[in-house]
Parts: sequence; C-alpha cells; structure tokens
Amino acid sequence: MTAGSDNDQMTKMGTAASFVALIGLADAVYLTVSHYTSARVPCSIIEGCEKVLTSPYAEFAGIPLAALGAAAYFAAFSLAILAAFGNRTMWKLFGIHTTLMFLFTGWLIYLQAVVIGAFCQFCLISAATTAILFLLFIVSRLIARK
Amino acid sequence: MQNQPEPKNSSTPIIIILVALVAVGALAWYFYSSSRTEPVAKTAATPAANGNRTTTTPAPAGTSAQPVNAPSGAPLGVNMTGSPTATVTLEEFADYQCGACAIAHPVMRDIKGIYGDRIKFVFRNFPLPMHNNAYNAAVAVEAAGFQGKYWAMQDQIFTNQAAWAAPGADFARLIAEYAAKIGLDPAKFQNDMDGRPAKDRIDADLARGKGLGVSSTPTLYVNGQMVPYQELRVDSLRRIIDGELAAASGATNTAK
Repeated sequence: MTAGSDNDQMTKMGTAASFVALIGLADAVYLTVSHYTSARVPCSIIEGCEKVLTSPYAEFAGIPLAALGAAAYFAAFSLAILAAFGNRTMWKLFGIHTTLMFLFTGWLIYLQAVVIGAFCQFCLISAATTAILFLLFIVSRLIARK
Repeated sequence: MQNQPEPKNSSTPIIIILVALVAVGALAWYFYSSSRTEPVAKTAATPAANGNRTTTTPAPAGTSAQPVNAPSGAPLGVNMTGSPTATVTLEEFADYQCGACAIAHPVMRDIKGIYGDRIKFVFRNFPLPMHNNAYNAAVAVEAAGFQGKYWAMQDQIFTNQAAWAAPGADFARLIAEYAAKIGLDPAKFQNDMDGRPAKDRIDADLARGKGLGVSSTPTLYVNGQMVPYQELRVDSLRRIIDGELAAASGATNTAK
C-alpha cells in the first residue's frame, strides 16, 4: 500500500470519526446540562436517567462524568479532524485516546448494570459512539497492515 | 495523489475545531435555556386572582383531584402547622433526599409564613426507594417530632441535604450533629430513631401517598387538588391559595 492511499484511508476514517465524535459530543453536552439542572426535575418513582445521573458515580472529584465525557469527545473530534487533514501523529493519539475512552465506557456500563441497577438511554448512546470510534480506529489499523 | 506527508492547508482543521467549540457552547446554552424557560413561561401570564368571588372551586389547569378512598396517613399532629379548622389545606409529599424537594422547602416555608392560621399545612413523608438515606432522614425528623422539634429538624435535613446525601458521608454522625444543634436529648433521640413509632408514621404516610397515586416528589395538594410541579413557586401558590380562600369565604357569605 502506498503512502498516498494510506493518507486517503486516514482522511476517510478521520472524517467518519469526527462525525461520530460530534454525536457523542452533543449527547455528553446534553447530559452535562441535565446534570446541573436535574434538581429542577421532580424525583420520580420510575427509575432511569434521574437515578443514574444523580448516583454517586455520576461525579468524579466533583466534576460530572458527563462533562469529562464532553471534554473527551471534543478531544477525539479535534484529533480526528487533524488526522483527516493528514496528520498521522494525531491519528495515533486518537487511537490511544479512544482506547482509553472505550475501557472507561466498559466500566460505566458495568456500574449501570451491576452497581446502580438502572440504565440511562443517553448514557448508552454515549457508550455506542465510543465503541464506534474505537472500531473505526481498529479497522483503520487492520486496513493499514494489509 | 502522490506522497503527501504535510497537510494541504494547516489552518483549515483549526478553524473547523474552533467552529465546533462555538457550536458546543451554543448547544449547551440551548439545552440549558430549554430546561429553564418551560416552567416560567407556563405561569408568567397568570394574573393574581385577588377579587375572585366565585363560589365554585377554581381548579387551575392541570390539577387533578385526590381520590377519596386513600388511607389517611400518619395521625395529624407534629406534621401540621397553621389552623386545623382552616378552609384551605395544603398537603405536601416529599422525600428528604430529593433535590427538587429541598428547592421546594423554602417555598413552603414562605407560604406558611404568609398565610399563618389561614391555612392548614400537612407534611407527608414519601421517601423514594432509590434514595439510600431518604427513609432514615424521615425517621430522624419524626424522632425529633417526639421532642417537639419536627420543623427544626426538617430545616436541618433539607438545608444540609448536600452534606448528608453526599457519597461517602457519615450519615449517623451528621444526623447526631443536627440533633445536637437544635437541642435534642441525644439518648431519647437515638431511642426514637431506633424505635417503631417514627417508622410507623412514615409507613402510614407512604401508604397514603401510594393510595393517592403520588408518583414523584415533591407533590403538593391544595384542598385535594394536585398542584403541577411547575406551579410550586411562591407567586403561583399565592394565586391558587388566594383563589381557594376567596371561594371559601364566598361560600360562607352565600350561606349566611
């Protein structure tokens, strides 16, 4: 495989990844805002997002996980854009970044399933976008290796 | 396209990233303002119903009547303020660990201050199962009630909610602190916390709430009509209560 088509491949993957990261970013921004405004919402018997987003696990060192997620998605988006414009190092950083995000998402899914016992649909959307970002990077590595 | 190690235009990706950053800010503002304006817009255009002389009960839009066959709840006593014979009854179902209830607390305190003996205010416990210390907090308030400090303890519990409901907080130690602050006998308080009577009152309130179909907290009834959550503000409640008071005095006048 020539360096040119390799770059082409990275441009496509980077562009795709930046779009997926935008979806995750919008979702995380929504979750961050609802984290701070959830006190305006009455507490309901029906469990779901209210339970997950107000659980002790929704914050890390006083920072809502959703805000950390938004920052992570923004970083992923920036790296993917830089990679789409041909920066190879940024694509490698993107790979490391999404791998960490993917591992962290696994931990969050575990918390929701086993510890909190409730799923929040917007948190699951975030899990899906992270998984797609991770897969995009893995696929790009597999294609590059051929 | 041959070897192209350098980007075609190095400023383009930076511009895209900056545009995305601005878009994120706009999106956050949009989510924030849509979560905020909804309740305000609903009550903004409602006039104060001061001269309301109608004899029919003015039921605000969206309220729903209480079913009559619900259990009566804990016997009225410490959990009631105002006059037991007042023509307007407010009954609040709340969970001490619920953020929205803590926000509603000063509203209720203001309303009680404004109307005094012209209303009857009843507090009902409705601890939700997902809040780990909501039930115990309710026990603490009921236990304080046995020493005549029901409302003082409720103030402590609601205003310090962020402290005792925080993950990893030492609940028992904090509750003992609040009890000491309002001057409770610590031994009697602990005994009442452990005993059945306080819990029986909470369970009776819970049974009443469930019977009435309460599904979220805070839930407020004014003369048996459920007040929508968006109306749990001093101005909206004044309008509703004034309407009820006027209706009641109108009914008395016509009966004379």
